[in-house]
Amino acid sequence: MSTAERTTYDGGTRHKAAPAPSAQTGTVQPRKRRGVNREGLEAGRRGTRTLLWILLAAAMVLYGFPFLYLLFTSFKTPIDTIAVPPTILPREWTLENYANALGRNGVPASFINSIQTAVISTLLSLVLAVPAAYGITRYKTLSGRIFIMAALVTRMVPPVAIGIPLASMMASMGLADTPIALSIAHTTISLPLSIWLMSSFFEAVPKDLEEAATVDGCSRLGALWRVVIPVVSGGVAVTAIFAFLASWNEFLFALLMTAIRSQTTPVVIANFQTQFGLDWGSMTALAAVYSIPVILLTLLLQRKIVAGMTLGAVKG
Amino acid sequence: MSTRKFINRLAIGGICTAVALVASGCGAGGPAATSGSAGTNTVNVLVEAGGHAELTGVAEQCKKEAGVDVNFVELPYDGMFNRLSSEFSSGNVSFDVAALDSVWLPSFKDAVQPIDELFTDEAKKDIFPALVKEANVDGHFIGMPAWTNAEIILYRKDLFEDAKNKADFKARYGYDLAAPTTWKQYQDISAFFTKDGMFGTDVKGGVETEWLAHVLQAGSPMVLDANNKVVIDNAAHKEALDFYTSLVKDAPSGAAQVDWAAAQNLFNQGKTAMTRFWAHAYRQIPKDSPVAGKVGAAPMIAGSAGIGGVPGPWYLTVPKATKNADAAKKFVKCAYDYNDKGIESNLGLAARISAFEKYQDMPGYESFKPLIETLNGKATATRPATEKWQQIVDTVLVPMLQKAVAGGDSATLLADAKKQIEDLLK
Repeated sequence: MSTAERTTYDGGTRHKAAPAPSAQTGTVQPRKRRGVNREGLEAGRRGTRTLLWILLAAAMVLYGFPFLYLLFTSFKTPIDTIAVPPTILPREWTLENYANALGRNGVPASFINSIQTAVISTLLSLVLAVPAAYGITRYKTLSGRIFIMAALVTRMVPPVAIGIPLASMMASMGLADTPIALSIAHTTISLPLSIWLMSSFFEAVPKDLEEAATVDGCSRLGALWRVVIPVVSGGVAVTAIFAFLASWNEFLFALLMTAIRSQTTPVVIANFQTQFGLDWGSMTALAAVYSIPVILLTLLLQRKIVAGMTLGAVKG
Repeated sequence: MSTRKFINRLAIGGICTAVALVASGCGAGGPAATSGSAGTNTVNVLVEAGGHAELTGVAEQCKKEAGVDVNFVELPYDGMFNRLSSEFSSGNVSFDVAALDSVWLPSFKDAVQPIDELFTDEAKKDIFPALVKEANVDGHFIGMPAWTNAEIILYRKDLFEDAKNKADFKARYGYDLAAPTTWKQYQDISAFFTKDGMFGTDVKGGVETEWLAHVLQAGSPMVLDANNKVVIDNAAHKEALDFYTSLVKDAPSGAAQVDWAAAQNLFNQGKTAMTRFWAHAYRQIPKDSPVAGKVGAAPMIAGSAGIGGVPGPWYLTVPKATKNADAAKKFVKCAYDYNDKGIESNLGLAARISAFEKYQDMPGYESFKPLIETLNGKATATRPATEKWQQIVDTVLVPMLQKAVAGGDSATLLADAKKQIEDLLK
């Protein structure tokens, strides 16, 4: 495209760009160099965009492939699941694995247990993390800073080290094999990071907002409930999802603390691997079904999550 | 309804549900898993996921005959040891009977109670000798074998019966192609079938039991002698290791990473002509496998000390901490009395000789005769009774085998292993 023919956009109206007249000769001099730069710039942008798309596609394949492979395996016949070399797509599609997995004793009950445990653990985390994080960020005391650091230290202890004593404690309190015991255990995982997350969200809320609320007659707790929490609702959603997922996918505590009545689905999924063989088809089918609720929950709260993620970005 | 309203309602619903559940404090799986009260006829049985099916038939029969109700607590193998350790150490158990892998018996011997009264003379005669010996710890029987297994030879009957293969084999080796009865034959057959993308056998670098069976066949106790002295560097261990690695050239590549699952897959996919594998695998060949209906079974091959295999039994034990020992023992007795019920399960195994013999001539159970012969083998022996055994396996034996199949010097590796094991046992 020549410089004379180059087009510009002006308020959405496309028209030919008028070449500027030369001061010395009065003739129209094409702005060659500028045109070349803009074309180069456009080409550069296109190249960058293409590269970004390629990187994005590569990242999606990297992260998405294991899940897709799991999904495809769940539709394979028994011999197909153990093919050497492995195939990605099923040679023959079957729903038999889903029937086997969902028809297995204890599977529906384990789903209910997982939901029960994750909901209780999420609520516990939020109920404890929100006031803790608010107190730490608003009062900024030395003990608050020590507390928040100490909370993080608990994350550095391997879960197996506290799992066995925790299981014994629950048993001695008569809570053995109950969703409550498991929820409390899961809260020990999610609470520290929930406090950290909520602290960063509260930091982003200007104090003026609360002061305005107190001027209007709100107590501090009233300001927290009526003004601050609605502002950080995206952050609360992010924290809730984090806590829910931490409990939903947790395996070790569930293994140590549950038996007949509160066994969660991750343990049931693991039970497809036995000392005498691995039932890949049923295992992947149950894992695929188990991932549906969290995918739905994430999609449902997507807008809140994005709002929560960007909350800290407007701080200042 | 707007998304916001929907989310709000969802959250309120979730909170109400959670509050209701917290208030009820119950799970959805059924009755509480605490050890039953004294005198009740309900027992909780802790079992590895694969073994659950084995005991289902027994449980049904036990309910009918002895009036004992059974709840199974099913756990994956990898987490079961931790769970058992946790509950036994707390003294508060959620089960009345625990099915223990034989390698765990020494670790939990002090947490389970003797069941000597169940080991009558008649029972001792009907259980394989190696298992009777293993169940007896410090002078008391502490576990009743519920099912057992051992490695046998599985081979491709269709390839062995093929006329061209037979003729070619005879021309090359000077004797008839048949299921191997000597290790020399096993080597020859492995070499013969290693062609056209197929392999004669597999070599498992990721598991130790198979090499240990060769050690027994060569006439030595496995790793430790009767006095717990480390003998892993003796001539029998070296001979066994050299033989083991000699098969690498006729096996699929990556032997160091091949474990049970990989070897079973390779055989079921038709990639190997023979495998030394646990007997239960014979009945677990998928119906749509290219080798389904084409597999033969033979006993483990004898070495200079005779046929030797490493049994893989599971024992039913009664924890000292259970409040329901009477019903628990009734269930263990049922498991012995109706031991053959396990054979009709997916796994298809038992522990009593009479149970295997009842099925050995039935179609579909062709692996039982070789299994019985292997379990009764002169050199067959159980693993050393030390609490450190699993640690020895994981940290010394398997890494050593992986180096050996990758070309390491056997004498050096065995000497290093001896030192490491001695350090572990200090």
